[in-house]
Amino acid sequence: MNDRLGLGWRPPLASGILTHQHRVDVIEIIADDYFDASRRELARLKTLAAQIPVVLHGVSLGMASAAPVDAKRLDRMARLVEAIEPEYWSEHLAFVRGGGTEIGHLAAPPRTAATIAGTLKNLETATAIVGSKPLVENIASLIDPPGSTLGEAEWVATILRESNCSMLFDLHNVYANAVNFGFEVQTYFETLPVEHIKALHLAGGRWVRSREYPESRRLLDDHLHQVPLPVFDLLREVGKQVPHPLTVILERDGNFPEIRVLLDELEQARTTLKQGRESGLLRPLKV
Amino acid sequence: MNGENLEAFLARLYVDENLRERFLANPQAEAERAGLSSEESAALTQIDRVGLELAADSFARKRLYKELHARPQTFLERIKAVLRKF
Ligand SMILES: [Fe+2]
Repeated sequence: MNDRLGLGWRPPLASGILTHQHRVDVIEIIADDYFDASRRELARLKTLAAQIPVVLHGVSLGMASAAPVDAKRLDRMARLVEAIEPEYWSEHLAFVRGGGTEIGHLAAPPRTAATIAGTLKNLETATAIVGSKPLVENIASLIDPPGSTLGEAEWVATILRESNCSMLFDLHNVYANAVNFGFEVQTYFETLPVEHIKALHLAGGRWVRSREYPESRRLLDDHLHQVPLPVFDLLREVGKQVPHPLTVILERDGNFPEIRVLLDELEQARTTLKQGRESGLLRPLKV
Repeated sequence: MNGENLEAFLARLYVDENLRERFLANPQAEAERAGLSSEESAALTQIDRVGLELAADSFARKRLYKELHARPQTFLERIKAVLRKF
């Protein structure tokens, strides 16, 4: 199976990635970092995309919202997609602002019929403006979104089926939510329509403890630590059940180790995915 | 209910420490003051308090990080950024 594994493109990793291009099949560029790029920067990105397959990843569109997505931001994404011609672009199932207040990061919206309807409209608008459907990614949350009437897997699966978008399945995000809110990763995965899963994210995180309730802690998806074992276990399972090639990106946003450490982690992911592929237990078709 | 008001309220709740304090002291009253429906207000009385504290902290760290690493946008801001180094 032609799975491809690669790294998130971050300036401190650039020279390491370029030196070891034979070990990196694909890179994922944060689109928002280049919304204001100069012509020279765009030209550099184009050169990079000619050397190594590139995918673009958005972080601030706020697609999963009852409120309409900002067309100006979509225009900038469209311009970047046109300039770089990535293999695909992706964005999170998150809201990042509301009523004029910028949250500053990805927040989980209440999982309701209203946010499903809003998200579907936003995905339609995005597809029309950018010219291609985004892959949509499940997010990690420290708070169980208030006002939710649906479970996360059900909410995500409905959006996937009704939008017919593909999914960027972040395995650490679902693992973090599972330990934080007490559900089974396996059950979540089984609720998703596998034919929609086209790409995966791997990352790590750390525990954070509440000051007000010191007996309570949550797993924070900070992209600063190595990928934990349960995420590799899930990767193997995904390899078993998803019948088509996947693009797998290891995300690391800081606390950078030497590049060989990340390349080894990527190799571990490659081996794990292959193990899943070889055990070849495809999900039984539901009749 | 269309959901937009609830998201706007949540955005403020995650960002504004004073609102968070007033809200935690009396969730129902604060939600009603924001014009949320009775269903939404009732849902907010059940809010995940551990999650609210930790999420608000995490969002604050992200905003601070962005502020520190934001790249200067306009010519004037670029000049200011250079001057700040001296
Ligand atoms: Fe991710």
